[in-house]
Amino acid sequence: MSQPRPVTGLNAEGRLGAIDLTWDLPGWEPLVDHFAIHASDSADVPTTPDTLVGTTVYGRFSHDTLGPEAVTRYYRLVTVDAAGARSEPSATAKARTVASMAATGRTLAQVGEFDSKSLELALAPFDGPNRFRAAFPDGVDFVHGTSDPATDWCYLHPGPADGWGGRTPHTFRLRFSLDSAPRGEVGVVLWLIDTHMTVPGVAEIAVNSDLAGVVEFARGATRGSLEGDATVLGTALRPSFEEITLSGDRFTEGENVVAITKAEGSWHAYDAVGVFDIG
Amino acid sequence: MMSRRDARLAFGRRTFLSLTGISTAAFLTGMGVPAHAAPVSGRVPSNPFGLGVASGDPTPNSVVLWTRLAPEPLAEDGHGGMPPDDHTVEYEVARDERFRDVVTTGRAVASAELAHAVHPLVTGLEPGREYFYRFRAGGEISPTGRTRTAPARDAAPDSLAFALASCQAWYHGHYTAYRDMAERDLDLVLFLGDYIYEYGITGANLRRGGTGNLSAAHAASVVTLEQYRLRYALTKSDPHLQAAHAHAPWLMTPDDHEVENNYADDVSPLGTRSEDFLRRRAVAYRALYENLPLSPEALPEGPDMRLYRRLRFGGLAEFNVLDTRQHRDDVPADGGTPGGDHTDPERSILGERQERWLYEGLRDSRATWNVLAQQVVMASVDRDPGEGTEYSMDIWDGFTANRERLFDTLVSHEVANPLVLTGDIHRHAAAELKADFDDPDSATIGTELVTTSVSSGGDGSDRDRLADLWLANPHVKLYNARRGYVGVTMTPSEVTSEFRVLDQIEADDTGTVSVAARFVTESGRPGLNRESGGRQ
Repeated sequence: MSQPRPVTGLNAEGRLGAIDLTWDLPGWEPLVDHFAIHASDSADVPTTPDTLVGTTVYGRFSHDTLGPEAVTRYYRLVTVDAAGARSEPSATAKARTVASMAATGRTLAQVGEFDSKSLELALAPFDGPNRFRAAFPDGVDFVHGTSDPATDWCYLHPGPADGWGGRTPHTFRLRFSLDSAPRGEVGVVLWLIDTHMTVPGVAEIAVNSDLAGVVEFARGATRGSLEGDATVLGTALRPSFEEITLSGDRFTEGENVVAITKAEGSWHAYDAVGVFDIG
Repeated sequence: MMSRRDARLAFGRRTFLSLTGISTAAFLTGMGVPAHAAPVSGRVPSNPFGLGVASGDPTPNSVVLWTRLAPEPLAEDGHGGMPPDDHTVEYEVARDERFRDVVTTGRAVASAELAHAVHPLVTGLEPGREYFYRFRAGGEISPTGRTRTAPARDAAPDSLAFALASCQAWYHGHYTAYRDMAERDLDLVLFLGDYIYEYGITGANLRRGGTGNLSAAHAASVVTLEQYRLRYALTKSDPHLQAAHAHAPWLMTPDDHEVENNYADDVSPLGTRSEDFLRRRAVAYRALYENLPLSPEALPEGPDMRLYRRLRFGGLAEFNVLDTRQHRDDVPADGGTPGGDHTDPERSILGERQERWLYEGLRDSRATWNVLAQQVVMASVDRDPGEGTEYSMDIWDGFTANRERLFDTLVSHEVANPLVLTGDIHRHAAAELKADFDDPDSATIGTELVTTSVSSGGDGSDRDRLADLWLANPHVKLYNARRGYVGVTMTPSEVTSEFRVLDQIEADDTGTVSVAARFVTESGRPGLNRESGGRQ
């Protein structure tokens, strides 16, 4: 059995929470079954099952379950052809992610874990469309330190395009108490495991009833309403990461409320939400 | 046995094959070689016929046979538990089920490049005749399949019995429809799209009872060749589907889910770049070819696959099998606004070449019934029951100019008895094709029979939330949202369509079959005469 050639032109670029890989697509002969993407935190990337982070037929791949800390990853690809023959590993590429405010800041409030999963949140991983209106008739009202993510924060936030949500905007509120107002800036962090593919929509972020920012979501895969673990090999979920920086003077000593209102489009599915003092 | 013409055909494809990644030797041997050719050595694992046998695309003197060696069908690398070596697969075709009257034998070589599938094209057969076939690999003999050649071109058959099936999401339920189908005397099975679904199988969509635990590999969204092969293997592991394949020759055309939901040519609704999406289409088409009894003409070339074709059944019928996905323009942005982009005369659901091929074929046809076997609903269906209008842009309503060109051809060339066969919507429907869908009094120029899904959507019900919307269109004569299939009996004077439904398919495969409606369409009088059932 002849051996396919390894891919060339492998490039890696880091960003918030993820590293994007691109490479040159070979010709049609032999037909590529898939490219196996192997990752390691050291320059020696063994191409073994335990380093496999994804397979694809495309000329690009986003390793988007790397978490909020800044991390460096090294990558090598193996080409597998239609007959099952495997190439030698490609040359190595490396990149470093950009740290999230969730990693660099001090936690003021947080719902869920930044773990690429919605599974710890209410109604996850697939009961949102069927049960949201009954379970959260007035939207979400979550009190940091008191409420339970497993029952009080729905993994799925409907938008006005969703019939199952009543075709109306819904607001998710995160309440938390501060001993003193932040002196510097505050980061509001929305990490999502997925959004809708055609109408990901827009959310308005209000702090203590004042509109503080607008988030336009990236297109997802329309799977986050049905499955909740973006670390599953081959999942269609497309995580995205939204972080906005606000002036600390929007917050006060005592109770504060960050309200997320899905003003346009369809649902988004949460990984975790947090408010962080970033100085 | 390969005829001289077939040998020329194969030789002429060598240049083409050099572009596909499939060696000429593998392709030729996968088609079938004379029995005296030297066998390829290699030990075949036991129980290699776990995916069954099939036949397809019958002509008056030929039929395509199919099997795929897969002793471990659900091996996650997609190779079915086969070692990478080539293996000889012998086949024999007989006039009788006990193989006492063998008419031809041959060998095909199963290679890893084609997932150890073979597609021997058996020629030299008699027209309009029943045959039986089986394969041998190593010491193992396959189950016996039954097939039937098409009548001679100049024959005048008394009748033709066939079934329509579509949309068989394995995870939504059991293939009980095929249990019933395999008990009927059929000349042909027409499959009209969505043989597999590309979605990951998770707790959210697994409704088929009694399946046990599936490995994590089945939870992946199907994108790579090994994943498509695995999904076909899972789908084809169903015993009733295997029985239906072994029972009659199939005429198959895919829709979107064999690749990706709602794709249009090289456009992915997920926003995947075209150069990347075509890679997905290429592996999806390869796996499609590997797993269905398609003729060698359908062997994909990179991301391209010739799927539209024409088969004739004497003077009784001509089947134009269409491909409304691979060559279509993208979904218009106007959402169906009257006079919007979807009415652009430049738009086509078939593509220019297929349109020209279709119109020329219809113009030249002398058949009593001119059948269009295709994927998406052709009748216009206004989904707004009030004053406004709302149309789906994924079906022929999104390509109104193409529909008008087709209807103009049917009328201007006085094409006899147009009969459109459709899948896609997971509902039984029957409609009269009108010269002007907004005018119930306008001429009826054809008849459309839409088969519900075999399993997609789960149990279903007679009526659902879309029933009133569909039935508000006066040319729609039936709407039923249960699972099932359509049985069709065609004679020179009439077509009888029987819309069969199941009471359940999720729990197990013991569901009860009933007839939701039966219509007669008379030759020379397009439309639907209700014998029983009807608008639900």
